[in-house]
Amino acid sequence: MKHRAILGAAALLTLLAGTALAQEKTLKIGALVTQSGAGASWGNGMKRAAELAAADANEDGGLDVDGTKYKVEVIAYDDGYKANEAVTAANRLVFEDKVKYIIGTVGSAPILAIQPITEKAGVITMTLGFTSQALSPDKSYTFRPNPTTGEVAQPQIDWLVKNKDIKTVGALFPNDETGEAIAKDIGAAYKNAGAEMTATEFFERNRVDFIPLLTRIVAQGVDAIELDGNSPVTAGQIVQQARDIGFDGVIIRTGGPATQEIVNVAGEDATEGMYVHSAYDPNVETAAAYERRYVDTYGDAMNGFSPFFYDGTKMLLKAIQESGTVDDTKAVKTALENIHDYKGVLGTLNWTGKDTYGIAHQLDSPFYIAKVEGGKEVIVARCTTAGCE
Amino acid sequence: MSFLIAQSLVNGVILGTLYLMMAIGFTLVFGVMRIVNFAHGEFYMMGAFAALIGVTWLGLPYALTLALTVAFAILLGALVERVVFRPFRSDELSGMIASLGLAMILQNGALLLFGPDPQAFPSMVSGVFRIGEMIIPKSRSLALGVGVVILVGFYVFLMHTRFGRGLRALVQDQEVAALYGVRPEIVYPLGLGLGIALAAAAGGLMAPLFGVSPFIGATPLLKAFIVVILGGLGSIPGAALAAMLLGLIESFTSSFVSASAADIVTFALVVGVLLVRPSGILGRGES
Repeated sequence: MKHRAILGAAALLTLLAGTALAQEKTLKIGALVTQSGAGASWGNGMKRAAELAAADANEDGGLDVDGTKYKVEVIAYDDGYKANEAVTAANRLVFEDKVKYIIGTVGSAPILAIQPITEKAGVITMTLGFTSQALSPDKSYTFRPNPTTGEVAQPQIDWLVKNKDIKTVGALFPNDETGEAIAKDIGAAYKNAGAEMTATEFFERNRVDFIPLLTRIVAQGVDAIELDGNSPVTAGQIVQQARDIGFDGVIIRTGGPATQEIVNVAGEDATEGMYVHSAYDPNVETAAAYERRYVDTYGDAMNGFSPFFYDGTKMLLKAIQESGTVDDTKAVKTALENIHDYKGVLGTLNWTGKDTYGIAHQLDSPFYIAKVEGGKEVIVARCTTAGCE
Repeated sequence: MSFLIAQSLVNGVILGTLYLMMAIGFTLVFGVMRIVNFAHGEFYMMGAFAALIGVTWLGLPYALTLALTVAFAILLGALVERVVFRPFRSDELSGMIASLGLAMILQNGALLLFGPDPQAFPSMVSGVFRIGEMIIPKSRSLALGVGVVILVGFYVFLMHTRFGRGLRALVQDQEVAALYGVRPEIVYPLGLGLGIALAAAAGGLMAPLFGVSPFIGATPLLKAFIVVILGGLGSIPGAALAAMLLGLIESFTSSFVSASAADIVTFALVVGVLLVRPSGILGRGES
């Protein structure tokens, strides 16, 4: 009889626990990123950053918002780096999954395509998209937690032109809006620094053979080849094939962390001595710890954009906590804007961009110029938007 | 200027040979099976992954890896013929849709197995040959050399062996070939296997040049398609001519005008050829 009573009590407890579990609230965060095709390494870095930030919140039983615990759940969709697919995914996230927060998109065209949906619905997005049009006062729900070419190009190029004695530069860009915009910006930056972009080639994004184009560039006797604007895979192929045809000048990648992928494609020999933009300093212990955690969790090399989106997601979750609501995104947005001197894995982070974009939704973080040695980045200069040294 | 011309010629011939390997497999599969095999690019991708597994995971020599890749691809092709394509042998449209489905399964399978990131493929050789001002990358010379050997071997096999003759007979007229004792149940799967093996060999050869990821199949498929349309579906000499033409056009236009112009010229040529000779340069009209 006694046993029965114990069993009955246990069953009752289990039932109660089950009910309690069922009542646990969920905070859904969308990850609208590129998971297939050339931009997949960036997209996975972003999605996993959101997952790791969610795991942190869930560790203590969920995100505590005004006394209620929310289990943070990441819902991921692939946009294939395409605007039309991003719109489909955004509609699903906003109207079916009812998410209020989206990490993504990776590309410029996709973010511009989904903003009419997300801004109208008051959904906060955190995009990687490099286009300057992504941020503006009338798109007040969009934030960008990573520096773009606009922030990093000039200081880096000034330093490289001066220290590496570069006078002429050749470059290859994808034949689309992103490529054309970057070609213009980078060309102007080299001109400001006292060098000249003398050879520019445009190509279709799916191209894999660059030897004919590189032959033309190398025949003009350039001092350096610039890789900015190309996906990591394409950049790797350009490096490998430039070395294949005997180019022994400087190879530079001004924006977009992609060193690991470029080394994967081109190999250590071809990338030796290449100068790259680096988003974080592995000597900063918190950044190194994040990279170790990423590698241990996923078994892949970490893309350099990932820590930005980890910090970005953590800032978003902090803003949700501080505003005390998961539904009122206007309040969350204001709380996010008001975060100052956030101690992220990358260092101390603030919002900037009022002068450039008319709204301070652009993350301001330190960045670096690194030289590739033995397939690894070795930092040679530390930069802010004011300059590198 | 003479440097650019000579260099473009060399680049064009190398490119043409690489395209030819893809295109011959594609045209063979079409000739044998009467199926436009949209999964051809994915067999290229699988060949590249097979080479990657052989060289970097198992530490096998590159030559042995390539040989194993070809053997594996022939078996895989035979299996695919039996399981996927045989039911659609007389139904071109359904066969084409089945090949599209197969392409998606293979690409997403690779995505699940290997992830989306490009994989490191060590250079097999590095450095360049210099002839006067001309520069020939050793890595491309290797791919060119091995590619030519494979193509010659394939040609000899097709023209001078009993099986090759059977295969050609089957391509020309299936019923008559069967009357003469060609056994379709053996020749069909092996024919498809051979076509797929050429794609896989091209993948294995080009992996050190162009890298390995689940998405590398699309471009070679498009090039094979262009070559085969230009040369004439089912015609091997036509494919050879068209591949060289395509390689040289791409190389010269890219070097002297621009990359976008190369694409415009290529497709203008395709449209032009289709208008003048709908069956391709050396293609036979559909009987």
